[in-house]
Amino acid sequence: MRKLGLTLLLPVLAAGSALGLAACGGGGKEGGTLTGSYASFPDYLDPALSYTQEGWTAMYNTYLPLLTYAHANGSAGGEVVPALAESLPEITNGGRTYTLTLRKGLEYSDGTPVRASDFARSIERLFKINSPGSPFYEGIVGAEKFAKTKTGSITGIKTNDKTGEIVIDLVKPRGTFSNELGMLFAAVLPSGTPAKNITADPAPATGPYVIVKSEPGRGWSYTRNPAWTRTNGDLMPDLSAGHFDKIEIKVVNNDSTQVNEIERDKTDWMQPPPPADLYAKVKDNYEGTQFRVEHPINIYYFWMNTTRPPFDDVKVRQAINYAVNTAALERIYAGALAANHQILPEGMPGHEEFDLYPHNMAKAKELLAQANPSDREITVWTDNESPNNEAGAYYHGVLKELGFDATLKTINAEVYFSLIGNASTPDLDTGWVNWYEDYPNPNDFFQPLLSGESIAPIYNTNLSHMDDPKLNAKVAKLGEEPLGPEQEAEYAELDKAYMEQAPWVPYGTNTVSTFVDSEIDLDKVIFNPTFGHDLASFERK
Amino acid sequence: MASELHAEASPTGSSPWGLALRRLRRNRVALAFGGLFVLIVLFVLAAPLWADHVADTGPNQTHTLEKIEVDGERREVVNVEGKPIGPVWLGGGGKFFLGADGRLGRDEMVRLMYGGRASLFIGFAAALMTTVLATILALLAGYYRGWVDTVISRTLDLIWAFPVLLLGIGLGIALALGGLAIGPVEIPSGSIWITVLIIGGVLVPYMARPLRGQVLSLREKEFVEASVAQGAGPLRVMFGELLPNLSSTIIVFFTLGIANAMLFEAALSFLGVGVQPPDTSWGSMIGDGFNLISSAPLLTILPGTMIFLTVLAVNVFGDGLRDALDPHSKVLLEAHSGMAEPEGTAI
Repeated sequence: MRKLGLTLLLPVLAAGSALGLAACGGGGKEGGTLTGSYASFPDYLDPALSYTQEGWTAMYNTYLPLLTYAHANGSAGGEVVPALAESLPEITNGGRTYTLTLRKGLEYSDGTPVRASDFARSIERLFKINSPGSPFYEGIVGAEKFAKTKTGSITGIKTNDKTGEIVIDLVKPRGTFSNELGMLFAAVLPSGTPAKNITADPAPATGPYVIVKSEPGRGWSYTRNPAWTRTNGDLMPDLSAGHFDKIEIKVVNNDSTQVNEIERDKTDWMQPPPPADLYAKVKDNYEGTQFRVEHPINIYYFWMNTTRPPFDDVKVRQAINYAVNTAALERIYAGALAANHQILPEGMPGHEEFDLYPHNMAKAKELLAQANPSDREITVWTDNESPNNEAGAYYHGVLKELGFDATLKTINAEVYFSLIGNASTPDLDTGWVNWYEDYPNPNDFFQPLLSGESIAPIYNTNLSHMDDPKLNAKVAKLGEEPLGPEQEAEYAELDKAYMEQAPWVPYGTNTVSTFVDSEIDLDKVIFNPTFGHDLASFERK
Repeated sequence: MASELHAEASPTGSSPWGLALRRLRRNRVALAFGGLFVLIVLFVLAAPLWADHVADTGPNQTHTLEKIEVDGERREVVNVEGKPIGPVWLGGGGKFFLGADGRLGRDEMVRLMYGGRASLFIGFAAALMTTVLATILALLAGYYRGWVDTVISRTLDLIWAFPVLLLGIGLGIALALGGLAIGPVEIPSGSIWITVLIIGGVLVPYMARPLRGQVLSLREKEFVEASVAQGAGPLRVMFGELLPNLSSTIIVFFTLGIANAMLFEAALSFLGVGVQPPDTSWGSMIGDGFNLISSAPLLTILPGTMIFLTVLAVNVFGDGLRDALDPHSKVLLEAHSGMAEPEGTAI
């Protein structure tokens, strides 16, 4: 749903790493200040609350979890590697117990030692502040009870501050739990971190950079983490220390201005892709030297609420799938989107290309005539960010062409997801949404987006309210298993099974881009498919 | 009973309205801009004719993947880079006369005409609403004075205390989702009437306060005392005596109010809280075109020019009307609100 991504902070990097990450050496200039711009301030600068790629990029090199993802481009960036933990977890008890050991001697940026119990407090904090990431950890023994009472502790997390041992007991096996331990939500914060949003008052960091100033709405800045130089860097040699002494990020609301400032050497990097208006020009002028297209794993789609007429009829949903032309949507995204008419996007394990509903308006009208829904009054939701708003307007036009009495509601992007995820919002019939992977496991697309378990009164991610018992059971079973070739094949079948039910109209996978100043070495810049740009990889030529 | 306006009848016997019309006829500039305004109104009223018989498309109909024949050459309405076709004038047989509006490939000319209908309608309706409400409140406050005046004036002050655009944006956001229900009257979200109500409502103090000042002044005149002495009740005095004497000011305020309301609508729609997509107005067209300002600046310039011309025409004509109706009055434009305030009436 939103642009989320899991951030893993641990990049790998050691020079000579097979992953080809941005290594420290290489002859580039060290020191100085990296300047960047965001089109808007991230949702939060709190690892427990942020659920956008923008936020995860910002905290990728500050707050480290026990595990993280390799700081690498492409599929290599999906590998789970140790961060604050000495090694990957030892999984025992039929997949129900995870044992990890904290590296000895770690410190926060304020000099406080990192303790094993800080991990338990950090997970408990997720529940105390109603983090959108808390569902990932509800499978820990005692977590559900803690979520209700918010007192005591989560009994399934046992820690030993002397030895650094952390033992996590799960209610049932969960094949994605290592991935979830690497999410930014599981970043370890000092035990005394208040159970409130710390965006304006950042907590001490464990990564190579520490946020030293945060002005919500305006910008924030980092300096090198003194603890990294003292101890942490040596303890986590696979992580890059970064090449700049300071990083300054400011909010520039106009993306054309962002492009202009890079062209005039006023900033080194911009967070979002250049605006569609300038995209072709920037690509033509700078591709290969300052510009590069990146491929995060995501899906853009229109959801249909399967519990409300007329979308409670599968024939109506199939008809709409036939009616939407993914080629038109590719054009609307001005070449930044690749058509995809299935749940799993390209690049996600389990993806096997198919299209059950190639564009055919005649067929759509025929199916609709068969269904002959009595209720044709529907509300179409979309956010106001271009070109998503245009995609929503296109979809609205298609529905009108099919004979629906459709009303388009265009909502401010900053509140859009919370609004459509809230069951009390009236007329949640159909609308636009996107989803960026939390981690490279296909379960991350089925469990939160299509499993009946995920239907929630607030922060609902199953917007189509899909609740098929057989498919739910299949998703749950696969979720308990570690991902392998057999599971990937089953996920591919699941993809088709869901598309036969047509709860969505998936239409494409969006690309983003890296656009940097001419002095930045583009080849060294890492774009993790889930966490976005790795600021520690930026280096001057 | 004769009003003060009536009492100004010329020795030759012409009525005050006749004199005003004569003065207006002599003001060529005002008449020229009045004519321009009429042309603009005719232009937007012709929208369905142009859409159905020339462009053969509706204002919200998308043509993203279509190609059209322009002077014998097949051209994409939107190219692969998402750039819309520019003006083809008559080369496309009337289709895409001013090009397409963006990546959805909607006909810019058709949208400009339909958008103008929305902008003008909101301008008229909001100005009318402001005028009616402001007049009633001004009469009540100015006639009764005392606690009635205190309640009305302080309420108006309260609204006035808010920056008008921020107030409009706040109301727009609040009403954009759930619409508005007042008793049995329900206005769905996205309705153009939401925008009318917001603009019409927030501009009331800017007209009501100066009008109240005039009422306070008129209330002390002899003709009001005479009317009361003859047994006229409050309603008769307010609407039979005071209102006719406010009419020239109200007319001027109304015309200037149209221009203000149109500008306000443009601002709200540009910010996304006015006319809601897929419907359009000149303000929202500027907002949409702004995304493509580098590659297709005409999409911003065209609706901007239409707003400029319309507001200019209404303002110049309104000034001419003021001069014609009451050549002795001076109406000062308040820089911060854009609303006119008669000299010496601010209380």
